Amino acid sequence: MMVAVFAALLCAFVAGWFAHRRLAAACIAATFVLALGLFLYEVYSPEYGFRMPWIRTHADPTAVSQHVPA
Amino acid sequence: MKPPYAVHRNLIIRLDDAFLLAVMLGIAAILTAAMTLQYANGELPCPLCLLERVALFGVCFGILLNFRCGFSGRNTGCSLLFAMLLLVVSVRQTLLDIYPRPGHAYIGSAILGIHMPVWSIIIAVALLTAYALKLALLGGDEILRNADVSAQPHVKRLVDLLGLYLIALVAINLVSVVLQCGLGECHTFGYKLLTASSAGPASSAAPDSAARRAAAPVRACARAARTVRAAALQLRSR
Repeated sequence: MMVAVFAALLCAFVAGWFAHRRLAAACIAATFVLALGLFLYEVYSPEYGFRMPWIRTHADPTAVSQHVPA
Repeated sequence: MKPPYAVHRNLIIRLDDAFLLAVMLGIAAILTAAMTLQYANGELPCPLCLLERVALFGVCFGILLNFRCGFSGRNTGCSLLFAMLLLVVSVRQTLLDIYPRPGHAYIGSAILGIHMPVWSIIIAVALLTAYALKLALLGGDEILRNADVSAQPHVKRLVDLLGLYLIALVAINLVSVVLQCGLGECHTFGYKLLTASSAGPASSAAPDSAARRAAAPVRACARAARTVRAAALQLRSR
């Protein structure tokens, strides 16, 4: 898949260099879509999905209670 | 004497060219540094690192099209789209590795204490800010649309050189990705195709032959000792 992304990118650059605007636009659009798809595939985990449970997003209640003024 | 409008027009065109060239040069330098680290230090890029490279190339593509095919808001939009992609990928990668756990840690060496994904966030934010400032301060769509880069031969020469250099970088990256990932998933263990070819059936005896090569001096010494002993025995028997 990564090979396809870079191949499309090279195609876009070469087409852009020779001023083939439409071909370049089509190749760069393909690059973007493939890169986005590959990104989603890489970050997806069968266990967590797209979540990131290793990042704590809620405070520890006991730690909070220690800072409450008496 | 030029009328004020012509002076204003030339200034906008020159500032725009300078901005686009500076961005292109900066990105080319960043990609060259990344590839130098890859080939000199053996730091293989992870899949998300490769996607960050793609995003940086995409930003350059919009700029190259502005110079080669004439200014267009679409090209600027393309650059901004890839700058956004760079930001999304690098933020996600930073969040993936921000908490060290088995199989997850920042890959590669830190530069000024900051690892590549975090640098990518800084680069993406800098690019988006620079584009926003450029659009806000320069504007001048009509002026830029009618500008011709061939009117400034030194700019055109520099753009041609940089464009060819970037195309060469993309081609080298493509070859490198083919070697590293083959047609499947990318890993940072090594170049998949090179490892596969050295571990293939044709060279399955490679470790044996290497061991044999390493033991060759020992065998030569033993052979020489046997020869000397035989010569000594012959002398004694006479």
